[in-house]
Amino acid sequence: MDILIQQLFNGLTIGSVYSLVALGLTLVYGILHIPNFAHGALYMLGGYITLSMMTLYGVNYWFAMFVSVIVVGLMGVLLERFVFRLLREAPPLHDKIAAIGILLFLEAFAQFVWGADFHTMTSPYDQVVNIMGLTFTMQRLLIIVSAIVVMILLYLFLKKTYTGSTIIAMSQSREGASLVGININKVAMLTFMISGGLAAIASSLASPINLVFPGMGHLVILKAFVIIILGGMGSIPGAIVGGYILGFSESLGATYISNDYKDIIAFVLLVVILTVKPTGLFAKGER
Amino acid sequence: MLKLSNVAVSYGSFTAIKHVNIEVAKGEIVVLLGANGAGKSTTFRSISGISKLSQGEIYFQNSPIGGRAPDKNVQAGIVQCAEGRKLFPQMTVQENLRMGAFVHRMKKAEIKHSLEKVYNLFPILKEKNHDDAGSLSGGQQQMLAIGRALMSKPKLLMLDEPSVGLAPLIVEQMFKVIEEINREGITVLLAEQNANAALSIADKGYVFENGEIVVQGTAGDLLANGEVRKAYIGV
Ligand SMILES: Nc1ncnc2c1ncn2[C@@H]1O[C@H](COP(=O)(O)OP(=O)(O)O)[C@@H](O)[C@H]1O
Ligand SMILES: [Mg+2]
Repeated sequence: MDILIQQLFNGLTIGSVYSLVALGLTLVYGILHIPNFAHGALYMLGGYITLSMMTLYGVNYWFAMFVSVIVVGLMGVLLERFVFRLLREAPPLHDKIAAIGILLFLEAFAQFVWGADFHTMTSPYDQVVNIMGLTFTMQRLLIIVSAIVVMILLYLFLKKTYTGSTIIAMSQSREGASLVGININKVAMLTFMISGGLAAIASSLASPINLVFPGMGHLVILKAFVIIILGGMGSIPGAIVGGYILGFSESLGATYISNDYKDIIAFVLLVVILTVKPTGLFAKGER
Repeated sequence: MLKLSNVAVSYGSFTAIKHVNIEVAKGEIVVLLGANGAGKSTTFRSISGISKLSQGEIYFQNSPIGGRAPDKNVQAGIVQCAEGRKLFPQMTVQENLRMGAFVHRMKKAEIKHSLEKVYNLFPILKEKNHDDAGSLSGGQQQMLAIGRALMSKPKLLMLDEPSVGLAPLIVEQMFKVIEEINREGITVLLAEQNANAALSIADKGYVFENGEIVVQGTAGDLLANGEVRKAYIGV
């Protein structure tokens, strides 16, 4: 029983990270209509920037994360403005090629600046807390709480503010958005900024329990793809629920099946769910 | 109020419209007639700023607006209810209408007032308030599209084939509503293939063929014109 609860808690932790990454991916999908392969590289950059801020400038964890969110968010804006906007009229394949190009470039860039080594990020929250005989590390609790707070704020922004709802509107009909007087260039930049920011938050939260290295985004982004396919491309609830489903399946699978195979679970889940519901869990209607 | 002067628009190397001269006075209903592919929607897109001009100029209230971004045009009061409606299908009726008021987003009371007006004009929309736009019937979607356009308080409202695909009874209702909107002081530019109904409410019209205006005149003239009757009315 204790093991089960412990594993559910772990599932909640990694699920939180997956959900944040998948949310950013799904938001940008609404703009580009292709998955942004470069998203994993933004995640990786977020980790490095937070780490560098802490080690080089000695700033505290939260401020480092804040800088990281700003920098990676701006990075997203630049990608929109100088890459994807120019490809708007081009066939979707060009977007995909560009995204892969950006991914390769950013990884090489990270390796050039920070080297290929693995780094650890020490968080100030490495204490262990005891709750009813179960032990949790503070950092893991922090991941869960922060992720949920971020998701609630994002939800309120998208649902309750005019600016936020332009993102939803544009994902449902770009021309419709234009027709009601929305500046779609601004919305696209805003979406990339939020997406980059979410990636930076996710990696800054996850790095203290993982490692920082140039390829740190690979597995995460692959799984985020699985999640948004599971949840239905472009669906926001789908990204959140999908993230947690994957988190729970992985942590339970690691305990009860085999730790060696935990990274395969995502793909098994993908096959199973798409067999039962080919459009994904939260598929949107026709566009 | 609106003037197109020798306008041409190309899609790549294909010239969709050329030598288009149109004048719309304040308070008028002006109709663009023409078969599928004649260039009506392209003309609308050029006025909205969605398609760039390859030649000519467009004037709105005497200032040139050719090449201006679509959102600026909506702010200035040029609003289009496009072909295919372009609603936000997974948003509710009310959310769609609220998005229509995007350019007035700071004026809460004004939005509420506009919402009431649209609901008065189309009571069915109030009934379907919380339904997704995508779940509405064709006629209801068209009403929602017009309602959404009205929410931005247009000075010039462009309606692109509002009657297409609707049952005759609904079409009749639609044209009544258009007249009513016009009576409230909104200038209307209407693209239609349903020439008879459109001309019956219009002040004047332009007939498009292969991207050019071939006939123009008052609604009465066009209705009396044998060629127009033969081509677009069928009698
Ligand atoms: N996006 C586009 N790309 C290329 N050609 C187009 C596009 N839209 C319209 N056309 C062409 O431009 C011409 C005019 O079309 P359109 O303005 O839609 O006519 P209408 O609204 O009168 O049916 C047609 O020959 C059509 O095929
Ligand atoms: Mg048309």
